[in-house]
Amino acid sequence: MDKPITLREELGIAWKIAGIRLRGQMAYRTSFWLQIFGNFFTNFAEVLALFAMFYQFDTLGGWTLGEVALLHGISMIAFSLGDLLTVGMDSVAPQIRSGDFDRVLTRPLGSWMNAATSEFSLRHLGQALQGVLVLGFALTQVEIAWSIDKALLVPVMFISGIALFMALFTIEAIFSFWTVNGVEAINAFTYGGSDLAQFPMHIFGRSLRFIFFWIVPVGFITYYPALYLLEKPDPLGMPDWFVLLGPVITTIFCAVVSWGWNQGIRHYRSTGS
Amino acid sequence: MPIIDVHRLEKTFPIKKHRTGAMGSIASLIRGDNGGEFTAVNNVSFKIERGEMVGYIGPNGAGKSTTIKMLTGILVPTSGEATIAGLVPWEKRKQLAQKIGVVFGQRTQLWWDLALIESLELLRHLYRVPEERFRENLATATDLLGLGEFLHTPVRQLSLGQRMRGDLAAALLHDPEILYLDEPTIGLDIVAKEAIREFLITLNRDRQTTVLLTTHDLDDIERLCPRIIVIDHGEVMYDGQLASLKSRWGGRRQLIIDYAGDPDAAIASMGNGDMAVTEVDGPRVTIAFDRDEISAPDVLTRASAFGEIRDMSIQEPEIEDVIRRMYDGSIPAGM
Amino acid sequence: MYLELAKRSFQQQFAYRAATLAGLFTNSVFGVMLSSVYLALYWDKADGVSVAGFTAQQTVTYTWLGQALIMPVVFWGWWLIVDTIRTGTVVMDLLKPMDFFRFWLSRDLGRAAAQVITRGVPTLLIGALLFDLVWPESWQRWAAFLISVPFAVTVSFCLRFMMNLWGFWLLDHRGISSIMLVVSGVFSGHLLPIAWYPAPIRDLLNVLPFRSMLMTPVEIWLGQISIVHGLSLQLFWTTVMIGASYALLQVAERKVVVQGG
Ligand SMILES: Nc1ncnc2c1ncn2[C@@H]1O[C@H](COP(=O)(O)OP(=O)(O)O)[C@@H](O)[C@H]1O
Ligand SMILES: [Mg+2]
Repeated sequence: MDKPITLREELGIAWKIAGIRLRGQMAYRTSFWLQIFGNFFTNFAEVLALFAMFYQFDTLGGWTLGEVALLHGISMIAFSLGDLLTVGMDSVAPQIRSGDFDRVLTRPLGSWMNAATSEFSLRHLGQALQGVLVLGFALTQVEIAWSIDKALLVPVMFISGIALFMALFTIEAIFSFWTVNGVEAINAFTYGGSDLAQFPMHIFGRSLRFIFFWIVPVGFITYYPALYLLEKPDPLGMPDWFVLLGPVITTIFCAVVSWGWNQGIRHYRSTGS
Repeated sequence: MPIIDVHRLEKTFPIKKHRTGAMGSIASLIRGDNGGEFTAVNNVSFKIERGEMVGYIGPNGAGKSTTIKMLTGILVPTSGEATIAGLVPWEKRKQLAQKIGVVFGQRTQLWWDLALIESLELLRHLYRVPEERFRENLATATDLLGLGEFLHTPVRQLSLGQRMRGDLAAALLHDPEILYLDEPTIGLDIVAKEAIREFLITLNRDRQTTVLLTTHDLDDIERLCPRIIVIDHGEVMYDGQLASLKSRWGGRRQLIIDYAGDPDAAIASMGNGDMAVTEVDGPRVTIAFDRDEISAPDVLTRASAFGEIRDMSIQEPEIEDVIRRMYDGSIPAGM
Repeated sequence: MYLELAKRSFQQQFAYRAATLAGLFTNSVFGVMLSSVYLALYWDKADGVSVAGFTAQQTVTYTWLGQALIMPVVFWGWWLIVDTIRTGTVVMDLLKPMDFFRFWLSRDLGRAAAQVITRGVPTLLIGALLFDLVWPESWQRWAAFLISVPFAVTVSFCLRFMMNLWGFWLLDHRGISSIMLVVSGVFSGHLLPIAWYPAPIRDLLNVLPFRSMLMTPVEIWLGQISIVHGLSLQLFWTTVMIGASYALLQVAERKVVVQGG
């Protein structure tokens, strides 16, 4: 076993471990379903707000209920699955503070993979399920002329969306390698970003658009794909091929985050016992 | 080629200057804390051959844990080099993890909410241990460490001794070439300590696993480690055989003599430099002597002039004393 | 003594500077975002048209008031009493010669007062810089709004207090946590103006106490309700909620005594 572990092997291991952890959770079946249900319930407000808004108004920035619901569905699914795959990141900050992060670094798994999978919970499936329902509703409301390129776009859109949120959830952990103060400001980008991605980008002002296109590129994960699927012209006047920028920028973003993570690991100080 | 090769390793920690407020944390984020530095490990070098069992000892805060953390890849050193089983730990952390086992006495590698056996199962996947090998290792560990009675207990309910044994088994599932133990016996009762020592001896003998062990418990050292490295204030003070440390700096052996009756009072002033009476307690007299200067039978002969001797025993110098004196600076550092 | 407690937790708040700035930033980002969303709803409406009682400008003002009051009023995640149950200090608190409810209320009011200054006012100022807000039309309305905030905090406190006492029984607050989120998030009018919901939901929320936490103060600010009506509504619900808190506390105390602490 002298060969370095491959990514595929790492994923396989993470998968198996998640399975074992999950079986443990399933043992308490009622609490397991309660968690999923609670998560569903907690995120219900967003959907309620959407429908209530369209109860009073006909359009939002010129978009219909079905069109905005499409954005909601995509964003909720990407956000909740991204969250699901990085549940362990929530405990990185406390682990760094207590020094328990040591053990993440003594395992033969990539530190990120190990940290992300150090905990696992299917709770977030509640929100994902809701996203699927909203998306299903949207598809009954809008007409999409399906074609091969559109069908290909769907998986690309979800994968880059999930990856982007995973990266966002990692950033908070990265900051905690340096400081414990004020880390919660990142919430403006994670939760704020997922909320923002539920609406068409052209309704936001210049500075919000700049931040959420070019710094935290959540704008690319729902807005351009939705425009493309719906064959709507971009009110912001950007060309069609902007839809391809999503995956590209997400890749760059993830690369930067991954670099930041490695810097964080090198900076890790542990604690004096 | 030594399996552990450490060369001029150094680790400094920034001393936290308390900066308040968000501006403060942003500033320290950009500029780094520049409140000065504290050297926890300073210019440490040593080599350990495959199959050796070495005690790494020193007082609290000496830099033992910090060294171990660098040798596992948890911490990146400020400067210096280290090669562990051919790998630079902080660069090839993942690969190295497969070759080493780590046990931190104060911290568990196990999952609190899982039964011990489930934790071990998880580790089996993590370390890609073949099913068959896993079963063999588990059987051995169960046998030697007596895991059987608590294999199915959640880790959070285990006693410290049980948890420690579980941790030890966990660290060895993947047949590591090197085992790092940081205070593995801290807080344990005699029985648990003894079980762990026995286990380590067997492991080292049967598998030639290299063991680097930090401890406060000098009994551990006496039982396990022919070689010790003593560190204080981050610097190596002694590296060599435990036995020669004792004989060269252990100073004097002690001869305890029980006379039939109270010996002649003049005994108190017996000897001249090569030996000295350190205690007279009724019929029991303690004489300290230097083995390079005078032999035990000679001491005995001279002591017999002061009364009829009924019994006697020789005490080797206590390692505690030696090391305590070394810490106090009464023994010159280095060799 | 209760005044002293309030003063102390007031002062404590000023220690968390980094958290305050981070929080202000988050509130502002959300404020800008939500304002943009609401304004987009009015794109196809003529200027000054009001929908269910709200013009675009009033909706934006509502948004920033909501963001400004998040911290002072506290709409979610406050489990300090449950925490003392876990650590066991609750027994000592109950044995002290003081009123358990007032002990916590005074501390909460002190905290809220501090956060009006550190979080509320700055958030509102940021909102005013970025958007054209509606301001109370008379000094009487300013005064009424200032009175309505402590009422809002008190109603919110009673809700949190009771939710925490519920923790006496459940010992795990995650389940209640999501209920709390809906009650104070939706029922208070924080998520959307209550007037926007379909009639049955709207009518229900209007007769529940929780609108005192946000909707009523906002209406006082915007002049959608008469001062006397708004404040007496809040006074009524505050009284009811305090009464309910004491009733629940009695039951809980009996339970703690039975358990023997
Ligand atoms: N993460 C850290 N940050 C700051 N100082 C540390 C850290 N870890 C250890 N130290 C300091 O370095 C010194 C050596 O610590 P350590 O290696 O844990 O000592 P030992 O294990 O020998 O007791 C101590 O003074 C300790 O306070
Ligand atoms: Mg230590």
